[in-house]
Amino acid sequence: MEQLAQERDRLLQASARGIGLLSLLASLVCLSFPGVLPLSTLLSTLPLFAITALCLTRLGSTRSLGWVVCGMAAGLGILAAVQLPLGTGGSSAVATSVVTLAGGGIAAFSIVLIRTLPRILLLAFGLTASTVLVELAAPGSGVISSQAATALLGWALCATFAYWLSASVPRAARQIHSIGRAHRAERQASETEAQRRQGARLLHDTVLATLTLLAHSGVGVAASALQQQAGDDARLLRQLRLGGTPVPQSSEHFNVDPVQETALGHTLESVKQRFGRMGLEVSWHGTGQVLLPSDVLDAFLLALAECLENVRRHAGVTDAHVTITDDETTVRAMVTDAGVGFSLDDIDSARLGFKDSVVGRLKEVGGNARLFSSPGSGTTVVLEVPR
Amino acid sequence: MSGARRAEDLRGAVTERRRLVGVPAQSTAGRAVVHANAHGATLGSAHLGLGAGVICAIQAAHGLITFAGNVDAYPNVVPVVLAWLLFIGAFATMSLSIATRGDRLPTWLFASYLAALASVVALDFVAIWPLQDIGSNATASVTAGFGLMTAVVQRPSRELVGAAIALFAAFVAAILVTTPLTAETVPAQLTVVSIAVFPPIVAVFAVRRFQRMVQLELDRVLVQSTVSAPRFAVGMLASEELARLDLAAEELLDSVASGRTALPLRPKLASTAASLATELRLHLIEGRRETWLYHAITESEQLGKSATLKDTGSLAGLLDPRQRDGLLSAIWMLVADKKKNLSSTAQVVIGPVLPRIDPSSRRTITVPIVITTTGVPRNRVDPSTWVAMAKVGRFADSTEKSSLRVDIECIVPNPAEH
Repeated sequence: MEQLAQERDRLLQASARGIGLLSLLASLVCLSFPGVLPLSTLLSTLPLFAITALCLTRLGSTRSLGWVVCGMAAGLGILAAVQLPLGTGGSSAVATSVVTLAGGGIAAFSIVLIRTLPRILLLAFGLTASTVLVELAAPGSGVISSQAATALLGWALCATFAYWLSASVPRAARQIHSIGRAHRAERQASETEAQRRQGARLLHDTVLATLTLLAHSGVGVAASALQQQAGDDARLLRQLRLGGTPVPQSSEHFNVDPVQETALGHTLESVKQRFGRMGLEVSWHGTGQVLLPSDVLDAFLLALAECLENVRRHAGVTDAHVTITDDETTVRAMVTDAGVGFSLDDIDSARLGFKDSVVGRLKEVGGNARLFSSPGSGTTVVLEVPR
Repeated sequence: MSGARRAEDLRGAVTERRRLVGVPAQSTAGRAVVHANAHGATLGSAHLGLGAGVICAIQAAHGLITFAGNVDAYPNVVPVVLAWLLFIGAFATMSLSIATRGDRLPTWLFASYLAALASVVALDFVAIWPLQDIGSNATASVTAGFGLMTAVVQRPSRELVGAAIALFAAFVAAILVTTPLTAETVPAQLTVVSIAVFPPIVAVFAVRRFQRMVQLELDRVLVQSTVSAPRFAVGMLASEELARLDLAAEELLDSVASGRTALPLRPKLASTAASLATELRLHLIEGRRETWLYHAITESEQLGKSATLKDTGSLAGLLDPRQRDGLLSAIWMLVADKKKNLSSTAQVVIGPVLPRIDPSSRRTITVPIVITTTGVPRNRVDPSTWVAMAKVGRFADSTEKSSLRVDIECIVPNPAEH
């Protein structure tokens, strides 16, 4: 609102400058027409025109009242100067020539004079003074000459313009802020929805794995197994799409989110099936169902799947064992295989994606992973997460 | 993808920005703007249009009084009375249309209105032709110029300016043909032409600037909503984008499962699967890298053009809402605060974290924020910019290549302690 108020003032100032300078120019052109004013009088008003123009120009960029007072004084000075000596009454042509000066050039200052009482008083003074001076310049006629009436009209129009422009700003601001509130709500909803989708990491992990197999045209995996896996994943994605309920952040439920409940009801079982299709038989031992917070469970299962993927790719065996144990503080999974193994010194653990995908994910939730292996005697990975 | 007019390369860099005011057309906020407009919330424009009508009415009253005072001079008052009746009828129809239709003014109605105004001018000129002084006697034709202002909100600038120029030409032609140009008559002619032609042009200028100002404010307010975002946020388009990718993956997997797509996959489809997997992977981690400030800059039309951000450690996310508000306002005012056309830009570099000097302050860390600018002279900076910067932290300003540079020491809670 504060910035909008500043912008409003700038707009009013720029409008005042535009209207003022245009009117000033029109008036000067009229007065300069040969025969309207004696040359000496015209020349003597030129400095005053210059001052008024300068003040109007400055008005475009400053809120200072000094320029307004100075510009109004110079403008009124012109009105007086063109009809010197005062009281003798100018010609009708002169009076008409200064109408745009009084009703535009000087009245333009009123555009910045509507906010506070001192400014309004200054406006009233300028209005009265310029109308009276135009009236004095117009010879004869009744109550008010047409020239003075037009000058008065100019003041009325300028002040109405300024008032209306100012009054439109708070309306606009109110509407903008209600749109802003709607937008903030939308941002939060969007955030929650994205979190729900991103939170379904397990689901996306299997989708990504299947997509990667498809990216290699599905070579190396039985077509029927791949089809079944694709069907499972498509069903999961459809459920994610249809389920609009956001995930409770600290769900104590075993499942990652309610949408996946039916399909991932036996989470470990689905991991087993997935690897089964890809040719790795996984045997489970120990605790079957463990209750974990959803983010911990998520990390745990991802790390587990990553270890099994490593077994499938590198160990050269077709079966692996997973033993789950738990106590009051920790849930532990031991992944063992009787494969080729490797020397921990020879193979950079980063190459297996172990550090990022397994250790990193577990550390995020306060867990840890340890790797034991030597060539020829298989590999054991111990995964730990807090419960 | 219809609502998301942006393209991403593999690094996730936004290569094309959304137009308009940072509101995706399909989003709730975009709909909110459309919806609000439909219900007459024209962001102040409707009120401005009403003001234009009031100004026109004031001028019309003045014109009528002048006419009434001068009625004896007319050799034949019928044309001018007709002109006034026509004007009043057209103006009333126009006002009624704006009051009921709101923001829209159909072209046929506007064309009829212009035709009516042209007739008003013609009738008025016919009436005062024998008086041989257009400037002193024109009334309805001057008011017709003001009549153009009533459509200032609804019609494009060029139409109104075109009409004003036509009016100017009509006046000049009529004056040259009828009025002997002497020192006595010229001032009145010039004055009347100015009064008829300048106001609609000034109104067009003022209303356009008003609308631009309101758009800019809307942009700012919408971006302001990032201030309350969590440390890492996904941005307005992320969930739409993710939903799109999920759907594409679902369709592909479904067609494989149902056997519609034969295995092994054709190379083209395989590469589709590969790019889908890549995009999906990127979007799944996206929210964990980008902070509110990144989203603020990419979503805003104003900031997107002129501000760049380097925040490799995602440290902006650590700022509290007050600091964020200050930083966003400061950047905004530095780049948006120019009426000049010279383009000001700001580069914001956040981090790396300064080594701790005082070991007792384990609970906080100091994040240096450096704002370098181009085209922002030190003496043109709005004073409220400094107030905003002070909200972020202790700062020192200097001048680099004749443009402002600000170094801010921002103290934030240590994320390791929380």
